[in-house]
Amino acid sequence: MNLMSQNRPIFIPVILGTPRQGRFSEHVARFVLGEAAKLKGVETELIDIREIGFSTTDAGEAIKDPRFSDAVMRADGLIIVAPEYNHGYPGLLKHALDSNLKEYIHKAVGICGVSAGPFGGTRVVENMLPVMRELGLVTIFWDGNFSSVQKAFDETGALLDESYVRRIDKFLKELIWMAKVLRYGRENVSLE
Amino acid sequence: MAKTTKMKCPDCGIDMNHHADKVDYSVEPSSDDLELGGALQEVHYCPGCGRTAMRLAS
Repeated sequence: MNLMSQNRPIFIPVILGTPRQGRFSEHVARFVLGEAAKLKGVETELIDIREIGFSTTDAGEAIKDPRFSDAVMRADGLIIVAPEYNHGYPGLLKHALDSNLKEYIHKAVGICGVSAGPFGGTRVVENMLPVMRELGLVTIFWDGNFSSVQKAFDETGALLDESYVRRIDKFLKELIWMAKVLRYGRENVSLE
Repeated sequence: MAKTTKMKCPDCGIDMNHHADKVDYSVEPSSDDLELGGALQEVHYCPGCGRTAMRLAS
């Protein structure tokens, strides 16, 4: 067993996956970020795709953003907060994710779906799964599902529905377990 | 087939672990990989600093 990395905390950034004005997903992302930051041995930070400023006249490696790519490279897992827009994911989120490849391979990912309606973004989560797989990310079986998000937080972003605390705790514990296992695998388990 | 030499971390200089192979559609495939539609890349991870690097599989 390789012991070199045991002193490095698990790093799990939160990707806020929509650039829209008035996005409720920002409240979700900041809530999940806060819960993750409370956990011992875990580092996190918010990555807001609106702040990165990706070019939309090219794609893939050609639009790579060094800060975004460095954060994903350092990450052991990702949390993606994705609102459901017409049953799909935001185009800019896909555009951003497509700018990396090697940075994702054999790393854990958990998805938080956000919707104004009652289904908690389940359709956007399902739509993202094949994309995650092709990028080389490993999905967990817990999702964050934020239904009627406009009622879950007040206008300042304060959580109104405390039941999310327990649910996100389950989500985070599963994600961290997967992130640790995959780090061990990346370090110690060879294809040869 | 994987290269036999361990890849060295560009930052740490220590041996990296070859933990995956991935098709990279942004790179033209070699004649052996035409059916893949992209180039086959070895994915290596540094146990020291956590860096990932790729190199073309041969």
